Amino acid sequence: MNDQDIQVFITGVRRYFESLRKDLRVVIEPPFIKDEQKPFLEYTGIIGVSGKAHGAVCFTANRVMLENILRFLNEAPINGELICDLVGEIANTLSGNAREEFGRDFLISVPVVSTGDHIRFQFPKECRNYVIPIIWQTEKAYLLICLT
Amino acid sequence: MKLLIVDDSSVVRRAIERDLESGEITEVDQAATGEDAVRLYGAKLHDVITLDITMPGMDGLTCLDKIIAINPEARVLIISALRDKATAIDAIKRGASGFLCKPINPSELREAFELLIED
Repeated sequence: MNDQDIQVFITGVRRYFESLRKDLRVVIEPPFIKDEQKPFLEYTGIIGVSGKAHGAVCFTANRVMLENILRFLNEAPINGELICDLVGEIANTLSGNAREEFGRDFLISVPVVSTGDHIRFQFPKECRNYVIPIIWQTEKAYLLICLT
Repeated sequence: MKLLIVDDSSVVRRAIERDLESGEITEVDQAATGEDAVRLYGAKLHDVITLDITMPGMDGLTCLDKIIAINPEARVLIISALRDKATAIDAIKRGASGFLCKPINPSELREAFELLIED
């Protein structure tokens, strides 16, 4: 995975948030590399990747952002189960969309959802961890690309 | 008209149901797995099916094969995050009537649904 490959994920993030409401701007800050501790927020959807690349794609966000998205999707009442479902689905959408660039051999798993720092996934040690900061309606989230 | 919505995400299933709400649809069933979808379809032979691909257990393409084996004329609209052309072509070759990429655009979904029921 290199700097150029990250662009497909940025395009996917923009597409996802614009699909919620085009007039609400999503701000994507410059991606950075963080090889040690990963910036996990309250809820994290993790997609295991195999085939053409190995590792994981994670979408991590706080409850407030996820509740706001659920409101845009007309979900009510909102509960923890729906929030976990949503964070997994966003991770699935963003990683699945990357096949536009990487093709069919970029194999993705179903989402695993974790809360807080209790991350149930073994990340490969040999990959660079790209972090894409996302700001939507003043709330921050991250897309983490941990792929060989 | 009977509609079957298959996706492992309940948020997505409900969004599809809301987007397709119309007088034409008289009955909606939902399935979170391919196995449940095949069982439900075998029992009710829904007029239209929306089908995700990446699901735990039986994946959507295997589910599609089983639905087409039950009824080769089944109208199946794939709705998947997998945005590569090869997967879309494979799904169509296996009998899907259409392919939409997530995130779902409600107007594109309604348009695809209308085309499907016109056939």
